[in-house]
Amino acid sequence: MLRFLSRPVTTRTRSAYRWFDERTGSTELLHKGLYEAVPEKGGWAYTLGSATLVLILLQLFTGIFLLLVYTPSFSDAFPGLDYLRRSDRFGSWVRGMHLWGAYVLIFVIGLHMLRTFLSASYKRPRELNWVTGALLFFLVLGLAITGAMLPMDQAGYWTLVVVTNIPHYIPFIGDGVRHLWRGGDFVGQASLTRTFAIHIWVLPFLLFAFIGAHLYLLRRHGEFGSWVNYEVTGADPDKELAERIVRAEPPYPTRRIERMWAVPRRTVDFFPDQLFKDTVISVLLIAVIFVFGYLVGAPLSEKADPATLSYVPTPEWFYLPLDQVLVLSPQTYLVFVGAFALVGAGALAFILLPFLDRSRDRAPLRRPEVLLPGLFLAAMLVLLTVLGASRLYSL
Amino acid sequence: MAATTLSRRRFLIRMTNLGAGLITLMLSIPAIGFVLAPLFEKRTRTWVRVGEIDSVPVGLPTPFTVAMPIANGPPSGPVDRVVYVVKTGDHRLHVLANTCSHMQCNVHWDPSLGQFLCPCHGGLYDVTGHNVGGPPPSPLPGWVHRTVVDPASGRTVLEVQNQYDERI
Repeated sequence: MLRFLSRPVTTRTRSAYRWFDERTGSTELLHKGLYEAVPEKGGWAYTLGSATLVLILLQLFTGIFLLLVYTPSFSDAFPGLDYLRRSDRFGSWVRGMHLWGAYVLIFVIGLHMLRTFLSASYKRPRELNWVTGALLFFLVLGLAITGAMLPMDQAGYWTLVVVTNIPHYIPFIGDGVRHLWRGGDFVGQASLTRTFAIHIWVLPFLLFAFIGAHLYLLRRHGEFGSWVNYEVTGADPDKELAERIVRAEPPYPTRRIERMWAVPRRTVDFFPDQLFKDTVISVLLIAVIFVFGYLVGAPLSEKADPATLSYVPTPEWFYLPLDQVLVLSPQTYLVFVGAFALVGAGALAFILLPFLDRSRDRAPLRRPEVLLPGLFLAAMLVLLTVLGASRLYSL
Repeated sequence: MAATTLSRRRFLIRMTNLGAGLITLMLSIPAIGFVLAPLFEKRTRTWVRVGEIDSVPVGLPTPFTVAMPIANGPPSGPVDRVVYVVKTGDHRLHVLANTCSHMQCNVHWDPSLGQFLCPCHGGLYDVTGHNVGGPPPSPLPGWVHRTVVDPASGRTVLEVQNQYDERI
């Protein structure tokens, strides 16, 4: 010990690190985490995945802090948040960041999906990367809607009432599902307790399990990038591809894939090239959340009043398409058709996209049979949102 | 001695699987039962006084707010609910909940329309609660109710139970 302390500081730090490294293998772990090849072209588009991860971690961070003030109680939840609004600048800032974090997260996930869709990154052998990603998207939407129910202001209470009512249109088991979510016939304390448990434990637990799977699969197959990274320029394509495969850097060559998509033409190191871009985007997004969380914050309407005769419930913007579907399906069986059959079929097609798009082409313009339905679906979402918004603002 | 013998290795694998199965079973039974319990819970029905209804005008739905005791779940305080009292010309009494049969938003009587209006998706109901427009699939639910005559004052008092007269 005395010998250790008598050495210069730099030597001491180094030998302390060596001691730690010999016991934990931390350097090797860091190398495994940071050193991988990434396709050279399109690096800014590949930042969207890491941005999604950063934003989810931000939600976890701000969410944990919100537990300092939040009580999942019909009578006490609202006063706690009302106190933040009136007397706790930083607390309402954190709450504002949690809300704006959710907004930005949903938006960035949309972009991430769009770029994966356009580049056909989900094709063999990355089908399950897409499936886990699609399930993650639905988990995030579930977190967003359960989170909107918790404040026990008018907006939150009526979201809780309307959304827990939707399952009862499922044939046979619908009433039971609604009853179980609410913990009773009517929305009450049990409904809030159950929704709170779903929001802070059940969904995050599933979310992080699927994030683990998603990242594992990404590292297993490597970042596909896009078709522009796989062009063959030489006179002898076979020889060029063979050479690429021989010289490939981990995690390439991708296994169980056509030769021409096995190795990108040129790659850069994840660290520092890609990580730098990832960081730039994350800083920008968090800055937006930081500023909007403070300046705009999270709204809080009046205390929940189940006996109100004047409050007009409005859905969050990302649920406007679904809300509009409910308006357009006028009778019981049509609610089932609209809200479950159509939306369910769309969601299933979305999850199973890699198994529907079987062509070997990867460039979007060479896959019109997938591109056009995809754009149609996106256009429908935009149209329903616009219809929903105009209906709400004209009422 | 039988021809097939269980090797030590095989035996250990089988017992490990059996153990995992037993753990799953022991954890599932109470957990699933706990989650599903509300489905089988008995509701506690109570009568609540709404108020005197002699002064409710014929043809104009009149809202009363009632502190409604919860019927099931962990004990918690009553929740304020609306009871619309409607007297029609044929001397009939309708005691309606203001819960839209579409998505359970709160409807209100709109005097200019002469109808109940749901603010969420524009559902419309006539004065007796029948759905006449928009997405609602069925009429407004009524509250299970009874009228009693207060022996002291001779006035009619309305009481409701903490349940709808039909499932919606």
